[in-house]
Amino acid sequence: MVALARKTLVHEWRRFLPAILAVGFASLLQLLQAALVLGIFGSASVYITGSSADLWAGYPGTQSVNLGRPISEDVAMRLRMDPDVTKVEPFRWVDADWRGPRDTGGVSVFVSGIDTSSDAMMFSKALAPALRARLNEPGAVIVDKADLDSLGVNIGDTAAINGQRVRVVGVSSGLRALGGVNIVSSLETARVLDVAPEDAGMMTYFVAKLRDPHKARQIARRLSGSNTFGPYTVWTAKAFARRSQLYWMLDTGAGAGVLFLAGIVFLVGAVITSQTLIAAVIGSIREYATLNALGVGRGALRKVIMEQAFWVGLLGIVCSIVIGIVLLIIARNRSVPMEMHPLTAGACLALSMALAIVSGLAAMRSLRRADPASLLR
Amino acid sequence: MAATSTNPALQALNVRKSFVSGRLESTVLHDLTLDVRAGELTLIAGPSGCGKSTLLAILSGLQPADAGQVRALGHELGGMSMRALEHFRLQHTGFVFQGFNLFPALSALEQVELPLSYMGLAKSAARRRAVESLEEVGLGPRMQLLPAELSGGEKQRVAIARALAKQPELLFADEPTSALDAANGQIVIDILHRIARNHGTTVLCVSHDPRLVGHADRVLAMEDGRILSDHVPTPPAEPKAKEPSA
Repeated sequence: MVALARKTLVHEWRRFLPAILAVGFASLLQLLQAALVLGIFGSASVYITGSSADLWAGYPGTQSVNLGRPISEDVAMRLRMDPDVTKVEPFRWVDADWRGPRDTGGVSVFVSGIDTSSDAMMFSKALAPALRARLNEPGAVIVDKADLDSLGVNIGDTAAINGQRVRVVGVSSGLRALGGVNIVSSLETARVLDVAPEDAGMMTYFVAKLRDPHKARQIARRLSGSNTFGPYTVWTAKAFARRSQLYWMLDTGAGAGVLFLAGIVFLVGAVITSQTLIAAVIGSIREYATLNALGVGRGALRKVIMEQAFWVGLLGIVCSIVIGIVLLIIARNRSVPMEMHPLTAGACLALSMALAIVSGLAAMRSLRRADPASLLR
Repeated sequence: MAATSTNPALQALNVRKSFVSGRLESTVLHDLTLDVRAGELTLIAGPSGCGKSTLLAILSGLQPADAGQVRALGHELGGMSMRALEHFRLQHTGFVFQGFNLFPALSALEQVELPLSYMGLAKSAARRRAVESLEEVGLGPRMQLLPAELSGGEKQRVAIARALAKQPELLFADEPTSALDAANGQIVIDILHRIARNHGTTVLCVSHDPRLVGHADRVLAMEDGRILSDHVPTPPAEPKAKEPSA
């Protein structure tokens, strides 16, 4: 079979370039938008994804990690009683007010009180053992290096949280928060900083490690069953992370914004791509009509158009992948929160291919003008 | 000349066709009846607007008639669906148009191979037929060139090879020489003539080019949608003419 679609695409690349660029830009925009959303809202659950715990126990109905309420310390006992649980660890969340040494005004901060031992679960993926060990000093805190400016401090400086003196002993990376600034401290320091009277003798979360992480869902359901140790619910880490991300995405209206933008990008891309493909079909309409006169069916001619649309889509997608990877690397180096999962990337690329195919279908309609009788005059 | 076949390859019986433009209805063909004999080069001549192209479109199954019957190779074209007509054209017909209508991206060889691949021919068979046809029209050495690298006459010869390679029983040509200069026009005329002679193809040609008249086996003069005369022309005086046509 003569590769009419491909040869025409190569020979008349200037004609097809706008379509390829339209698909490429649409694809790139979808990818970057998805990466940004995943990156920004991924930080809503950084406490969970940065830790190695399998289960999270917290106040019933908690919609996002940052909205935790105190639960009884007895819940830890309940978790430890379960034969599948190998380790339990407390996590204290304190909403606090920061006063830096420089003139930054008040900054709303989230203090994460964690176990500082080297084999602890909290932030095990985000903080190296040496860094955690520094938190053992009373009043020691770690902040994200991207937040140093907004906090107005440098390593070694002192500041005040809720009126208590703290000292920045180190910086982390990848611990940026949504709607505030993350501060990591030891459990002891966090307890001192927590000035709310109702939190006395209470803890925000207990996290647990399981013998077999694959059974997490089943064990979480089993542990959530009773209220004898006060109100609490147990989630798997995965479910709680998703819950937190979804809360932020819906609460901020970003989810709807993303869908709206995706729709616009799709529409604009499809208009440009279909117009370009239509122009290409019209440009060759006499040749198509001649083929039809010679008996090549309409169906076969439509296939040529769709093949062209497919190649346009593929080339556009390849362009967007290459540029997207470059931009992702640049973003990583500049601490811009961007993240990409294979499934999301696949969905974005599939959407771009759908755009090309829809445009091809639109262009196919103009084949009706390929009337061989019109060549006879 | 009449020895080739007694069965007409093409038959039109009381064919009528009219076009409506705005409120005006103009009849292009008036109850036209015509037989085209197989294996001959038949020329339909006449001034522009006399309906000769419309007649060609109807006889070749590109356009339906408003009334009357059209039979091609024994098939009644009037009752066929669009798909059946496409299949009929694929199997039995070749076309040469005034414009060459070649795909800019394809080489001469690929232009000729393209319709063959849709006929279900194997790649090697399509390639062989395409090469043979291009050699027959004298383009053997230039078959790898793109249309932009060919002259007008060569492009028309590629278009003829494209039709010829299908080995059609019916070859339709619409003003095949009017976009060409004298020399190239003569070459194209000779090729069409040879196709009818050597392949036994029924060639129906529509033209107002007087040079074609001498080469036709039969000339139909048309005017205002009617056939005015039907005659066998005197053999051409040109030395290029082949001796068996006498």
